[in-house]
Amino acid sequence: MARVQIESEVTGNVWKVEVAAGDAVREGDVLIILESMKMEIPVEAPEAGKVAELLVAPEDSVEEDQVVAVIETA
Amino acid sequence: MSWEPEVKEIERRRKLAQVQGGKDGIARQHASGRLTIRERIEALVDEGSFQEQGLATAIPDYDEDDNLTGYVPANYVVGFGRIEGRRVVVGGEDFTLKGGSPNGAGLRKSVYAEHMAVQFKVPLVRCLEGGGGSVKGGGGRKGGTVGEPVFSAPRFRIIADAMGQVPVVSTAGGAVAGFPAGRMVAAHFAVMARQTAQVMIGGPKLVERALGVSLTKDELGGAHIHCKSGIVDNIAEDEHDAFRQTRQFLSYLPTNVHQRAPRIECADDPERMEEELLTAIPRDSNAPFDVREIVRMVMDEDSVFEMGREYGPSQMAALARLNGQPVGVLANDCRHYAGAMTAEAGQKYRRFVEMCDTFHLPIVNFVDQPGFMIGPEAERNGTIRYGMAAVCAAAQATVPWASIQIHKGFGVATAAHYGPNAYVLAWPSVESGALPLEGGVAVAFHREIAAAENPDEKRREIEEQLRQARSPFPRAESFAVHELIDPRETRPMLCRWVDWIQPQLEELTGPTTFMMRP
Repeated sequence: MARVQIESEVTGNVWKVEVAAGDAVREGDVLIILESMKMEIPVEAPEAGKVAELLVAPEDSVEEDQVVAVIETA
Repeated sequence: MSWEPEVKEIERRRKLAQVQGGKDGIARQHASGRLTIRERIEALVDEGSFQEQGLATAIPDYDEDDNLTGYVPANYVVGFGRIEGRRVVVGGEDFTLKGGSPNGAGLRKSVYAEHMAVQFKVPLVRCLEGGGGSVKGGGGRKGGTVGEPVFSAPRFRIIADAMGQVPVVSTAGGAVAGFPAGRMVAAHFAVMARQTAQVMIGGPKLVERALGVSLTKDELGGAHIHCKSGIVDNIAEDEHDAFRQTRQFLSYLPTNVHQRAPRIECADDPERMEEELLTAIPRDSNAPFDVREIVRMVMDEDSVFEMGREYGPSQMAALARLNGQPVGVLANDCRHYAGAMTAEAGQKYRRFVEMCDTFHLPIVNFVDQPGFMIGPEAERNGTIRYGMAAVCAAAQATVPWASIQIHKGFGVATAAHYGPNAYVLAWPSVESGALPLEGGVAVAFHREIAAAENPDEKRREIEEQLRQARSPFPRAESFAVHELIDPRETRPMLCRWVDWIQPQLEELTGPTTFMMRP
């Protein structure tokens, strides 16, 4: 079991959170959609696992490299 | 009487100069997963092609009767080699001796490497590993002459000159600090090995003494630092990968600025039309897409060589081929700030255009530019200056240039995407203007909107009117673009353009000069 921290690549706002804590996700699944410079930027699961923590909610602002979610991998 | 005794002595000394730092030094190098300089050169150049210069350079020791009692090889190895049959100069420090810190003849050879490349007009590849000068090396005897004479030529002039004359590549296989770090970045392409290399101006001991912070070499200058600092273009998985990337990089470039970049036979059909290009750009203009897929589908199969992916990531820069012709490719990556020009993207852009200008590589630009990056961080980073420098580099570019308007094209930053006399193609997905509608309408029509009974409705109404005026068709009708095209036609159109520009490329050789830019 490893905890993988998922960082935002951009500064922007959280538009949608597509998963809930405890959800199982596959590699490439969209966890969160950010809005930055009017583009919808998906934050994807880098590997399969379970969503351990969601650290942002819709309309939150996020900074580049900010941890937005944590995934527990099998 | 023959000269056989001397000839034997020549042979003996040549052998002695090959021993590097001896068995222990070589074992230490291997134990940490690094190659020796001779192994590096062997891994880089075509088999058996290395022709060493200064075969017997060393620091000798003689006894009173002039008998040789010690022989420390010069710790810099240099010579000619071939890469895919084309001659290059290759050189590097021998880290197994004095940690690569130059000894007498070693220093001379390291400087000569640059002169050789310029004199013989061939690319230079540096295999760097070393810590530069040492205080032990300095200081003259009392009463003797110290320092360089005041009329000496600047020591680093040749490094500057080389970059305007021949392709220069730097590779780092181990720790590179001090002067070698300066050499590392004075290159058209710099690549470091992920696990074994670090690049630092000053290493951990210097940093601790000067600043009181204790950091490892990796924390100071590991791959994770420099993929983002931009001083290194690419990170290689290991040294062999660094040499593979070096060979690939050089394959797109001419041997020197007086020659043309080598056009190769192309196995890929120049008329190939990829079906997926029709759906590559989402109709929802706020939905991101992968511009690298678009670039890959248009260029010759497997010909795209990206540089500096993680530095200024909103702007992609790559070398590639179109119907066998090497070209520089620029493309905005909308997944990073919609492809906006940040301070880093601006510097990356200007530098890449200058490299293409230097080696006369045509530029193909996939334009999806929402403008300069805005916001407090962008202002602090000086974005507008670096952005304008990019705009000026494009405006003064001397190479044939093709721009494909694939998506957005807003603001002054968009000017950076067109060189003089650019061949301009537009996809139906193009949107352009001074400002994106959403923000632009709110600014330009704020009085009308505020005065309206229903301001929101008024704003939407104006946006809709303007959106209709932005249909791509009038631009084609007015010859404001050369052609409005089916995205699938992009490759055939660009391959035809590559044929059209051949006479221009024929004429376009020799050194390039730049004016001062913002």
